[in-house]
Amino acid sequence: MTILEAQQLTKTYRLGDREICVLDGVSVAVAEGEFLVIQGSSGSGKTTLLTLLSGLDKPTSGRILLEGIDITDFKEEELAPLRNTSIGFVFQSFHLVPSLTAIENVMFPAELRHDHDAEEKANILLRRVGLLDRAGNFPHQLSGGERQRVAICRALINNPKIVFADEPTGNLDSSNGKAILDLLLELQKERRATLILVTHSQEIARTSDRIIFLKDGRIAAHGLGSHQGGRDGFSEQHHVS
Amino acid sequence: MFHKSFIRRQLTRSRQQTVVFVLCVVLSMVTLIALDSFSRSVNESMLMDARTLHAGDIIIHSHYDFSPTLDDAVGSLVKQGLIQAARVYDLYSVVRTAGDKDSLLVDLKIVEPGYPFYGAVELKSQRPLEKVLTQGNIIVEQGVLDRLHLQAGDTLNVGEATLMIADVVLHEPDRPVNFFSLGPRVFVSSRDLEALNLVQKGSRVDHLYLLKVQDPGNVDRLAAELRDVATPDRERVDTYRTAGSRIKRFFDNFLFFLDLIAIFTLLLAGIGIQSAVTAFLQEKEKTVAIMKAVGATNRFITLQFIVVLCLLGLAGTVLGVLLGFFLQNFLPFVFQGLLPQNIRTGISGWAVLKGFFLGVFAVAIFTSLPLYRLRDLKPAVIFRKEETGNRRGLPFYLTVLGVVLVFAAMILWQLRDVRIGLYFISGVGVLIALATLLSEAVLLSIRKRKIKSLPLRQAFKGLFRPRNATKAVIVTLTASLSVIFSITLLDKNLDANFIQSYPEDAPNVFFLDIQTSQLEAFSRELGIQAEYYPVVRGRIRSINGEPVDVAREWQRRGDNLAREFNLTYRDYLLKDEALLQGESLFRTGVEGVQVSVLDTFAEANGIKMGDRIAFNIQGVPLDTTVVSIRTRTKEFIQPFFYFVFQEKVLKAAPQTVFTAVRLPPREISAIQNRMVASFPNVSVIDLTETVQVFARILGKLSGITRFFTLFSIIAGVLILVSSVLATRFVRTQETVYFKILGARRSFILKVLTLENGILGLLSALIALLLSQAGSWTISRWIFDIAYHPFPLWSLLMIFSTLALVVAVGLVSSISILRQKPVIFLREQTEE
Repeated sequence: MTILEAQQLTKTYRLGDREICVLDGVSVAVAEGEFLVIQGSSGSGKTTLLTLLSGLDKPTSGRILLEGIDITDFKEEELAPLRNTSIGFVFQSFHLVPSLTAIENVMFPAELRHDHDAEEKANILLRRVGLLDRAGNFPHQLSGGERQRVAICRALINNPKIVFADEPTGNLDSSNGKAILDLLLELQKERRATLILVTHSQEIARTSDRIIFLKDGRIAAHGLGSHQGGRDGFSEQHHVS
Repeated sequence: MFHKSFIRRQLTRSRQQTVVFVLCVVLSMVTLIALDSFSRSVNESMLMDARTLHAGDIIIHSHYDFSPTLDDAVGSLVKQGLIQAARVYDLYSVVRTAGDKDSLLVDLKIVEPGYPFYGAVELKSQRPLEKVLTQGNIIVEQGVLDRLHLQAGDTLNVGEATLMIADVVLHEPDRPVNFFSLGPRVFVSSRDLEALNLVQKGSRVDHLYLLKVQDPGNVDRLAAELRDVATPDRERVDTYRTAGSRIKRFFDNFLFFLDLIAIFTLLLAGIGIQSAVTAFLQEKEKTVAIMKAVGATNRFITLQFIVVLCLLGLAGTVLGVLLGFFLQNFLPFVFQGLLPQNIRTGISGWAVLKGFFLGVFAVAIFTSLPLYRLRDLKPAVIFRKEETGNRRGLPFYLTVLGVVLVFAAMILWQLRDVRIGLYFISGVGVLIALATLLSEAVLLSIRKRKIKSLPLRQAFKGLFRPRNATKAVIVTLTASLSVIFSITLLDKNLDANFIQSYPEDAPNVFFLDIQTSQLEAFSRELGIQAEYYPVVRGRIRSINGEPVDVAREWQRRGDNLAREFNLTYRDYLLKDEALLQGESLFRTGVEGVQVSVLDTFAEANGIKMGDRIAFNIQGVPLDTTVVSIRTRTKEFIQPFFYFVFQEKVLKAAPQTVFTAVRLPPREISAIQNRMVASFPNVSVIDLTETVQVFARILGKLSGITRFFTLFSIIAGVLILVSSVLATRFVRTQETVYFKILGARRSFILKVLTLENGILGLLSALIALLLSQAGSWTISRWIFDIAYHPFPLWSLLMIFSTLALVVAVGLVSSISILRQKPVIFLREQTEE
């Protein structure tokens, strides 16, 4: 069943006199519980696609449907509850609130929806990622890997239907990066969430259900990851002309 | 050496910070310049036309009839054609309408033809004074007609004479301001002096000789000649250049007080300058780090920023000078009713120069610390995203000490009064120290609290955001609010004690200038048991052999020893008196003249038991010894005397008597009419009316004070704005993260409102605590009145502060609230 669908998404920016087209008629449908990887070189439009799909930005044209509801023209106030309950974010730069401790960062989305069990849920998640003893630490007192684990807990505390991850291992060394990705996938499976992940890594892409490859703002190719029987990322790819 | 394009870029970017910086510079000088120019204008208006202000070239003043020697000397000069002379008598008296139906306390001025020699008395009819003020005629102020329901042509009983109202006076040259008068003016011709029968021995009359010297070059010489024949300590001979003016003295004191408030504003604006520069330079940290990374020296970088700050400081200074002059032109409206009519405001070159100096100085001393910190910035900042703390070593504290000392020196230079300057610096120091300690304690206790509500918790967290100037904002707002709150509370307390709820047991009517010969008849006519106080006038010659330095004493801002004192005699303590030192009021078996001194006078002048005070009682020297020190047990509305003598010592001296009685308010008018009809020379002061005059004066002065204190509030507001700007990045970051995590706009607004609300509430509460304590101390120990905390007014002041801080905080955060998450995230990723 399709949980998220993008129809002919276009995004253009004005840079001085020039108009730059970052995305050009991208359509994609994501199934519930799917792990979709978006790949492409720098400037190909992958982060832009992620921000459009997650409702952080609005397309110049095209539609976005979340669970069949058109959210393209939703105002910020209509998007806020969606972001709080249906969507989780994990960023390359972690983006933890500096004035809040690790546990307060994790609890925050649950507290926003007046969840009385926020603290308990945050404790469970932090224990699950091995950070219970660092719960009272502020972000600047944590290592990069620890910060990203806190960010993952924060993204999952409200059991979102979709998790958007923008190069979550980009700021981490390889061993930490692998650990974080394993954790993210584990938790995604446990909670049966849809995961849409932007990455440069072929290795990560191979573990996905499906891969789309962006080039110059268009889907240049898509293929199946190893979970769907693909052997080597784009070995089963279909080039789009 | 100077990198022009770099400097230009720094000036054109970070516009909000530069605007706040420039505004702080403007604020630091605007009130000082305005007041400086204004006091110059007031002084110049009074001195330039000093002849008009005194209505003559030489002014001779006495509380007694002039001595025959002086009278003869003046007469001789008139005969020689060297001068023209006019006698003037100024006294308070009660006038009555025909049939003694109504009466009113008025300020009588009895003048001889010739008055005024300079300037003119303006009459409603535009006719000259000498044509109208003839024998049998009087000229009155409009207030007399209004209050007694009379019109020109009606008659009025003045003393023992019945005179006709011939005109209305609009302006008189030697009384430029009548704001402080207890009663409206009535002019009487000296030809009616005898018929009035008001000027008697011992009466409270200001006797004046106004002299016009035919050859202006002779003024000083003739004044010196007359001074030689005048009775020392009793007859004062001045030229128009040396004569003091009560109104000028009032302005000197009041403008000096306002100067203190302006310096207070300068200090707060200085903190604002420092805060704004810190915010400005923090935004440049990455730029500075990159410059250092590519080899720029500290000297080069500091120099560029000095030029940037100098240019901004110059802009602020020019704007400050312009606004100062604008404000100066606005001040006559603020002081309306208090100023002489001929006041002319103008631009003074000295004030401009001083303004520039102050502006540059304020910028230099208050930017030194943030600039100093720039030197410590490491190129590694480029790679760090989190906040770094400021290290505070010895050089930092030495710089702080330097700033404090230089600022203190500037205050002393501005005030030109070392003693008051040091009191002021200590007072401000204590105020800031208390505000810092209290805010520190409150913030510490808040930090440790566990708060359940998410918005409230987030708001509290916001107070401890890195680089937040929370403490600076609270301290600045607290300090300025404490001053405003204290003025309001004191104003309200004085109003409550003396105007709204006049003490029930306090006397409400004073009968003055009762002649000793009238005492028995007066007491019988009044028909009330009352205490009668004999009054003998005298001056102090020396204390413990140290002569009173008249010139120095007249320079003193408070009470002075050279003035004339009211002395009394009795052998017992009054009901509201108690002995502080000494076993009885006077001792038996002691040789020489004994005197009892009131504690307030003794404390103010360091008088102890056994001290020797030499008096001059209307020409008779009297050496006394202090044998007791008294204190008063009731509010000061009861009559009191600094010096009490034994009856045998002063009984024979020229004297008048007064009494203070409590009358039912409704009967005051009738009793006043009856008493003045029988004793026309007796002045009746109805205190219930007099307090209305004081209420008007008090209201006006506290209004002006509040107006100037408002500028210090603006300084607090600017610091709040610069604090928001300094933490702009962190605030935007938080707002964006909250939005991404699903927070609605209402939540973010709630957090911002609460954060600013807490800031305002803390400042207001600490300020209220300090001002309640300060006002209580002043009320109890200086004014000696009952203290009311005025809880409703206190709440109103707290809510006003709250509303102001919340509004300013929200307005300066609008752009942060509008920040789109995706743009911020993209900028962060690109970095």
